[in-house]
Amino acid sequence: MARCQGTVGSLCQGLLDLDDDKFGAMCSAFGYLQEWPDLGAMCGASLGATPGAVAPSAGDGNDDSSCNGSGGLKKRGPDACLDAKGDGNDMSKRPRGKQQQQLCGLVEVAAPGKGKQERPKAGTKKKAEAASTAAAAGQKTDYIHVRARRGQATDSHSLAERVRRERISERMRYLQELVPGCSKVTGKAGMLDEIINYVQSLQKQVEFLSMKIAASNPVVSFDIVEDLFGRQLKQACSPAALPAMALPAGQLEPTGLQMSPLQQVHPSAAAGSNGFGLDMVVNNLYPSAAASCPVSAATPVMAAGGPSIEPCLNVNGAAAAAWDIGSQNLFGGFDAQFQSVESDCLLDNLKMEM
Amino acid sequence: MSSRRSSRGNISEDEINELISKLQALLPSSRRRGSGQASTTKLLKETCSYIKSLHREVDDLSDRLSDLMSTMDSNSPGAEIIRSILRS
Repeated sequence: MARCQGTVGSLCQGLLDLDDDKFGAMCSAFGYLQEWPDLGAMCGASLGATPGAVAPSAGDGNDDSSCNGSGGLKKRGPDACLDAKGDGNDMSKRPRGKQQQQLCGLVEVAAPGKGKQERPKAGTKKKAEAASTAAAAGQKTDYIHVRARRGQATDSHSLAERVRRERISERMRYLQELVPGCSKVTGKAGMLDEIINYVQSLQKQVEFLSMKIAASNPVVSFDIVEDLFGRQLKQACSPAALPAMALPAGQLEPTGLQMSPLQQVHPSAAAGSNGFGLDMVVNNLYPSAAASCPVSAATPVMAAGGPSIEPCLNVNGAAAAAWDIGSQNLFGGFDAQFQSVESDCLLDNLKMEM
Repeated sequence: MSSRRSSRGNISEDEINELISKLQALLPSSRRRGSGQASTTKLLKETCSYIKSLHREVDDLSDRLSDLMSTMDSNSPGAEIIRSILRS
C-alpha cells in the first residue's frame, strides 16, 4: 500500500503538464495499482480515443455531469449496455468540471500536501460552481485529469463490477445457446449444473466414439489398408525408431496395419515426438489384442502379432501390468494421444491410471 | 458482487462457487494450471471454447466412424466385432 500511495503522489505532482496520452497511461497505471485492470484498460482506451471530445466540454457542460457525480453511475441499471467508451467520456468530462478537490479528497492519504480534505461528493458540488470559471486554467485541467482518474477509481468498484457482471452474463447467455436444454433452466446454479452435465456427457461421448473407432480401425485396416501397407509400414516405423523394427517383417504386419489408419487421420500426431509415436503403437495394440480374443478366427495375423510385440512393450517401459488395465482405459488413452491439446484431461487420466 | 440475487432465493453463493470449481475441474486448461482460481469470466470463456472443441471432436469422430462403418459392412467378422462393441 505504501508503494501504491507513493506512486499516486508522484503522479499527482507530475500532472501539471499532463497531456492526454500521459493521462491515459496514468489511468492504466492507476487501474493496475488498484487491481482493476479492466477499468484501467478501459480508461486508457476511452481517454486516448476522446481527447477532443473531452476538452471542449470543460466549461458549463461539466456542471451537469459533475452533479450526477458518482451517484449517476450507480443508478445506471445493469441492463444498460456498458459501453466502455461512453463511460469513459462521462467520467473524463465529469472530473474536468469538478477539478482538483475530488482528487485531493481521494488521494489525500497519498498526497497530503495538496491539502484539501473534502470528500469527493462535496468537492463535486463546489466544483459545479467553480466549473464555470475553470475553463482556462492549465493546472486545473491537469488536476482534472487526475481527478478523472480519481473519480474513476472511486466508481471503478461499481463500474468494474458492472463490466464483470456484464461479461459473465454475456458468457452465460452464450453458453445457454451452446448447451441444449439450458435455456429452460432458470437461475445461475441450474445453468451451471446443466453446463457441467453437458461437458461431462460430451467428454464421455468423445471417449466412446474414439473407443469405437479404435476398435474398428484394426479390423478395417485388413480390408482397406492392405495395399497401402508397404508405404505405411515405413512411415510407421521410421519416426518412432521402434524396437519392433528388430522384429521380422511378418510379425511387424499388425503394427503397421494399425498405425496406418491413425497416420492417415492424424499425421501430425504421428510426426510428433518419438514418445508419442511409441505410445500410439503400444496403446493401439491392446484393442487389437482384445478384439482378437473373442473372434480369433477373424484375426489370425493379429493373434500372431500380439505375443510377438509383447516383449517390445516391455522394452518400451510400458509395464506388463498394463495388460490388466481395462480396454476402455486404453481406448481413452489412445484417444488422448491424438487429442493431446484438447483432451489433456484424458491424458491425465491415462497417466494416473498407468 | 455485493448482492447476487439468483432467481431461486435459496441458492447461496457458496453453492455457486462450488459449481464453478466443479466446472473448472472439468476443463483441461484449468486443470493443467493447477488450483489457482481463475476469474469467473475467464472460466466461462474457457468453457465455451472447450464445449466447442468437444463438439468438433465429436463430429470428427462420428464422421470417421461412419466412414469406417460404411466401408466394412460386408466384412462379417469385423462388423461382428464392432457391432458387439457398439451394443455394449
